[in-house]
Amino acid sequence: MDVFQNLLMGFSIALTAQNLLLAFIGSLLGTLIGVLPGIGPAAGAAMLIPLTFQMGPTGAIILLTSLFYGTQYGGTITSVLMNVPGEAASAITCLDGYAMAKQGRAGVALSIAAVGSFIGGTFATIALVFAAGPLTRWALEFGPVEFFALIVLGISMLTGLAGKSMIKALMMGVFGLALAMIGIDPIRGSPRFTFDRVELMDGIGFVPVIMGLFGLAEILENAEKPFAQMVLARMSTLIPTRGDIRDSVGPILRGSVIGTTLGLVPGITNSASSFLAYIAEKKSSKTPERFGTGMVAGVAGPETANNAHANGALIPLFTLGIPASPTIAVIMGAFMMHGIIPGPLLFKEHTAVAWGVIASFYVGNVILLILNLPLIGIWVQILKIPYGVLCGIIMAFMVLGAYSVGNSTFDVAVMTLFGVVGYLLKKFDFPLAPIVLTLILGPLMERSLRQSLEISQGSFGIFLSSPIAVVLLSLAALFLIVPAFMFFRRRKGVLPGDGEAVA
Amino acid sequence: MVKHRFSAWGRVMVGIGGLLIVSVLFSAVWAADYPQKGKTIQMLVGNAAGGPTDLGARIMAAGLEKELGVPVVVVNKPGANGQIQLTQVATSKPDGYLFGTVNFPVTITGYLDPTRKTTYNRKSFEPLAMHVNDPNIFAVLAKSPYKTLKDLVDAAKAKPKTITVSSGMRNDEQIGIVQLQKMTGAEFAQVSFTQGTAPSVVALLGGKIEVHCGHAADVLGHVRSGDVRVLGVMDDEESPFLPGVKTFEAQGYKIYSASSRGYLMPAGTPKEILSTLSGAMKKVMATGEHKKKMAEMGLSIRYMDPSQLGKFWDESETMVKELEPLLK
Repeated sequence: MDVFQNLLMGFSIALTAQNLLLAFIGSLLGTLIGVLPGIGPAAGAAMLIPLTFQMGPTGAIILLTSLFYGTQYGGTITSVLMNVPGEAASAITCLDGYAMAKQGRAGVALSIAAVGSFIGGTFATIALVFAAGPLTRWALEFGPVEFFALIVLGISMLTGLAGKSMIKALMMGVFGLALAMIGIDPIRGSPRFTFDRVELMDGIGFVPVIMGLFGLAEILENAEKPFAQMVLARMSTLIPTRGDIRDSVGPILRGSVIGTTLGLVPGITNSASSFLAYIAEKKSSKTPERFGTGMVAGVAGPETANNAHANGALIPLFTLGIPASPTIAVIMGAFMMHGIIPGPLLFKEHTAVAWGVIASFYVGNVILLILNLPLIGIWVQILKIPYGVLCGIIMAFMVLGAYSVGNSTFDVAVMTLFGVVGYLLKKFDFPLAPIVLTLILGPLMERSLRQSLEISQGSFGIFLSSPIAVVLLSLAALFLIVPAFMFFRRRKGVLPGDGEAVA
Repeated sequence: MVKHRFSAWGRVMVGIGGLLIVSVLFSAVWAADYPQKGKTIQMLVGNAAGGPTDLGARIMAAGLEKELGVPVVVVNKPGANGQIQLTQVATSKPDGYLFGTVNFPVTITGYLDPTRKTTYNRKSFEPLAMHVNDPNIFAVLAKSPYKTLKDLVDAAKAKPKTITVSSGMRNDEQIGIVQLQKMTGAEFAQVSFTQGTAPSVVALLGGKIEVHCGHAADVLGHVRSGDVRVLGVMDDEESPFLPGVKTFEAQGYKIYSASSRGYLMPAGTPKEILSTLSGAMKKVMATGEHKKKMAEMGLSIRYMDPSQLGKFWDESETMVKELEPLLK
């Protein structure tokens, strides 16, 4: 078969000593960039671009792509160990990953995440090899109208993030949407709620907000406790039990599919993928109430999804020349700087480069796994640092990270403010995840809604003209109506005093 | 013999004159010394790392390092369409060790928009050099019924506000479209894609919009594979990347619109420094390596020295002011 011959040729290119070394360096650097909060994959890749001028196109692209998926894994490490998301896509992993670390199961969480990332990345690469054509045609079906419907479906899943109280979850969802309104209006360009601060024109920075809500709030809460209690449980094991593995199989498979499919749609970020994978796990679990207390599925699902997304998002780059995210735009820049235009003619005109790079995705995912499994033992040593010292280090780390997002102290202030907000919300038992979900999806929803209405010149009928949109919107309606129905039915049947169970 | 006696005022004047001469001499010496060995020049980039502006600027920075023999460090100050970066450049010391990027026409539409409350305007900067000229294009699918610009304009006249075209927010794309509307009386349904051109190319390929208004690099691959047809280029000459595609001018529509990118310095920077740095940029842009890298990215370079760029800036500002009522 043609595909296999090409793939074999690709491997012969990817497995040369030089390209292997580049994939290794990329994965390692990516992991480190992932660990540093604030410095995202796009900035990391852009910093490497001048270094790649002297390399051949294949080597340059292998270096940048392996860096890209390295970051997807690195972000997990700080989420699990410190409750500080190193990358936006790993924010949701904090919920169960950090809870696992508190129980002494940080090593298990990281191992499962590494294996999930490997499988997710490999799954998406296989999709690229065997189904790029049909998948691309599917992705092209997603114009602003379908995109809007998809985002509405995502936001409707908010109900799946509710903890004890649906009302509190909805309040936090609206809070997130309100935060998403800050900044320049995406269509007409008028500033909203910016108080004449130029720093607010692009909206509130997402990374500083999640670092504050998750990381800083946790430290503030811990500071209340007597010093002796502020010790994380010692590591008991690195190796997942048979039960852990059984609990991860489903989430890893679902995460692979969710991440790969959403990765195909340009404009959807991989944080959206990891959030939706988390919600999917919670919705399909028999014990949804135990999410947030250290469920393996809550780590496996989203961590698989964000790597599958990272690799899946390369499909439109290869087939259409469309960069689906800022990082991929950098990778596309690397292609173009070497005189290669990604897109429909890529495989025809630059067969060797294209297949060499694809083969390197497999190789890179293997390297990442080999690199990370032994490193887990080293990372978890961080937890041996006395908490009083560690929280100082974490705070320094977060300030650095917030600053490096936009080289601006304003973001440090935003992070601090949201640390306090997050602390207060935790005290009053409000869930934090819905804020993050709507903060991610809100701007996407607004933009696609207004683009759709510009296409139809103001008619809402356009949302009924697309079968895909109709299906997605109906699903969203179902997600909203069913819990509401259950809520009222249960409320009728319960006795006063059962408040906790009802709400 | 007549003794010359200076009045008190005279002495003050001589003193001031002397100081002026000395300071001019000093600044001349200082400028001749520019850039001092061991110092670092900062290049602020008003866009996020990795975009076309950033990549072009990084290629320029690498060339300048070789040309000037001092480190040129790129610092990204993204946000608010460059407003964050421009605010910082405008308030920096005009000593030649910091310069920034300027994007036309977005920088101009930015400070002319009162809601943006910028703290700078044309007078806050010294133009340094023009680097990239990226003219706008109109692209349609190969199977589209519109074979020429005239087909498209006629159709838009016949059915106003039904033909969808991707546009931006007070940027070159929108300026190109409103010029065409003003000239021909045609009306398009503008759909705002404000997050880069990729989503609008997807929308074009998926048949969700009919016309993509963007730049040559957006559609190069699809033009060569035969999926997309470019109807015209809004420039005074044909694009080297799109051989055989006529300009708007050649098709009877005298419209010129481009995303032009260059560099600027804070107002008050000495002329000598401007010409030294601008001259170095000119030399970089003349090297084969620079030309090759930029061409491979689908970007055409066009150098302008400080006075040419200043003239271009003033003319663009006049044009934007005329079109202002149509940009709402």
